[in-house]
Amino acid sequence: MTTYNQLAGLRVNYLGSDPTLNTGNEGQVWYNSTSGTLKSLVQIKAWSAGGNMTTARGDLASAVSGTQTAGLGFGGYTPGTGNRNLTEEYSGYTWAAGGNFPASVRSLAGAGTQTAGLGFGGFTTTTTNVTQEYDGTSWAAGGNMSTARFQIIGCGTQTAGLGFGGATYPPTTKTALTEKYDGTSWTAGGNLSSVRVLAGSAGTQTAGLSFGGNSVSDNTNATESYNGTSWTTKANLNTGRRTLAGAGIQTSALAFGGLTTVNSNATEEYDGSVWVTSTNLTTARETLGGAGTRAAALAFGGYGTVTSNATEEFNSTIFSPATGAWASGGSLSTARRALGGAGTQTASLAFGGDTSSDVKTNVTEKYDGTSWTTSGNMNTSRYFLAGAGTQTAALGFGGYTYPPLNPSGSTATESFNGSTWTSVNSMNTSRLQLAGCGTQTAALGFGGSTSPGITPTAATELWNGTSWTSNPTGLNTARRLLAGCGIQTAALAFGGGGPPNTAATESFNGSTWTSVSSLNTAVIQLGGCGTQTAALSFGGGPPITAATEQYNGTSWTSAPPMATARANLGGAGTQTAGLAFGGTTPPSTAVTEEWSGPQTTATASTLTTS
Amino acid sequence: MALFIYGTAINTGKGFFTAEDRRNFFLRGYPGNVWVVGNSEKGALWLAEKNGVEKTKAEAQAIVDAEVTAAQAAYDALPEDQKNRPGFNQRPTAITLP
Repeated sequence: MTTYNQLAGLRVNYLGSDPTLNTGNEGQVWYNSTSGTLKSLVQIKAWSAGGNMTTARGDLASAVSGTQTAGLGFGGYTPGTGNRNLTEEYSGYTWAAGGNFPASVRSLAGAGTQTAGLGFGGFTTTTTNVTQEYDGTSWAAGGNMSTARFQIIGCGTQTAGLGFGGATYPPTTKTALTEKYDGTSWTAGGNLSSVRVLAGSAGTQTAGLSFGGNSVSDNTNATESYNGTSWTTKANLNTGRRTLAGAGIQTSALAFGGLTTVNSNATEEYDGSVWVTSTNLTTARETLGGAGTRAAALAFGGYGTVTSNATEEFNSTIFSPATGAWASGGSLSTARRALGGAGTQTASLAFGGDTSSDVKTNVTEKYDGTSWTTSGNMNTSRYFLAGAGTQTAALGFGGYTYPPLNPSGSTATESFNGSTWTSVNSMNTSRLQLAGCGTQTAALGFGGSTSPGITPTAATELWNGTSWTSNPTGLNTARRLLAGCGIQTAALAFGGGGPPNTAATESFNGSTWTSVSSLNTAVIQLGGCGTQTAALSFGGGPPITAATEQYNGTSWTSAPPMATARANLGGAGTQTAGLAFGGTTPPSTAVTEEWSGPQTTATASTLTTS
Repeated sequence: MALFIYGTAINTGKGFFTAEDRRNFFLRGYPGNVWVVGNSEKGALWLAEKNGVEKTKAEAQAIVDAEVTAAQAAYDALPEDQKNRPGFNQRPTAITLP
């Protein structure tokens, strides 16, 4: 077998704790002797597709201080149609129409943000010095620039904008002019070291950056930084080009796209000193829009092989796998087992349960991510019930109400509005020890037993917000004391027993249960949360266990256990943010634990530079 | 060197132990506020910071046994119709600390 030493020429570091997660440790592999885990640090930089713009165009402007999840593109030119007055706003997923720019214009500059944008200069039927301010809804006139020009470059904010370079017309005459905007009017700033058009930009009015573009006679790779007064020459881009876009700040910028002699997909990163080549855009193009940061940038529109409406998002992330883990949460006010649960890790609901052997309760508690507080009691005290929904819109159903003597489970269903429980229509099949999932208006109840300790049931019922309907088919494996998660049309049932205990897992599509991969360990009286394709199983017994397993839609894998082993516990939340509360160790416990799923990424923007 | 440190500490809820604690050292809780902690510098520091009282393994086991015995006594006191219902009400079984 080839060893890591043979492959990399290095031995794996044996460290007592993780090194600093910064770019300087990129590529390192180490063994954490404290946690007993092998770890690595890999920086991933990639462009990925975002939502397309509604209208393909180039020569458009961008609010360059916008973000990857709040971008603004306006103006531009579409061959065959002409100049554009369209404004589009990007949400991080899709583009939506904003208020039209007051003129159809191309080759203008942009600054500011999606809700405080700035557009200035450009070419309508001739060059313009007009400035427009965007408030997130509509554009309004600002103060005019001193010199009308197009192919101008911009950065900064709506109230502290910077415009530089560009060309006057006619005839087309490139300039090195710089103007500063204060939200009302423009004043002259120090000129660029040479004439410049169609450059990329980043930064602010007092810490701006210009890179690339077209200078006296050809494309340039020149970079200049602006300090609010004058420009200073900095290290050149690796690839000279014009009509490129930029993102970031003066000391941490991204340059992408443009035109050399052909459309470029080149991306370069700037750390304040040098430019280094990074991951290419998927679509080579020029005169595109750009916004965001060096670690989370946005590219949109431009001219490629065709006029483009494509959006791409650049992300630079650090990947350092860390296992998931359970941490302590606030304890329940009332220790109990066999309780109902609903909601999320930071907004969950616990209701009913058994405080000791057959001492039922109707107590309801709400968790806020830190502590539990009592809320309105259920109308019917019970345990071994099921729950669905959220902290403010939950459903509790089934369960056991003994004493007084009750040979069968309950059909009682109650609806919670965030403060009060109201009795609603009952289930068709009385039962206890069942599982539930879904929402207050679309819940699912399945499995359980119709009498304590008697034959388990496979029965499945669907709640539509008003009444329960028995599903024609039930679970393939009848069982009680199982766990469930998901929604009414995409649910998951796992574990439980008859006896014997089962590891069987089944997936529900709204009408039929299908057997899928089993848990690694057959377990009864377990807790669960998550979705049909991302579930979490925890605890259970006897024998009482703290074991945790994760389901990815295909198979279950073991995960770090809870600190406190217990059975008959409540569960809520997701596979990456789960909650386990109550149960029996024995005796009944009030302990709460919060699950944090495996750490997968840390954004580069949060890292220190090496 | 022993693998574990044994002690008692009151679970104060949120922040009593963190996900990072769990990644850094072995930690398990048992009835009677007994905690079994990996025998490392971080584990020992955690128990000290939680105002834990270190116990020998035998002392810790005795505390857990007392809790289980009490739970068993409570079970034994139940009416006969409430006993021996698998998955419903079963006599608590002994817990052996690692």
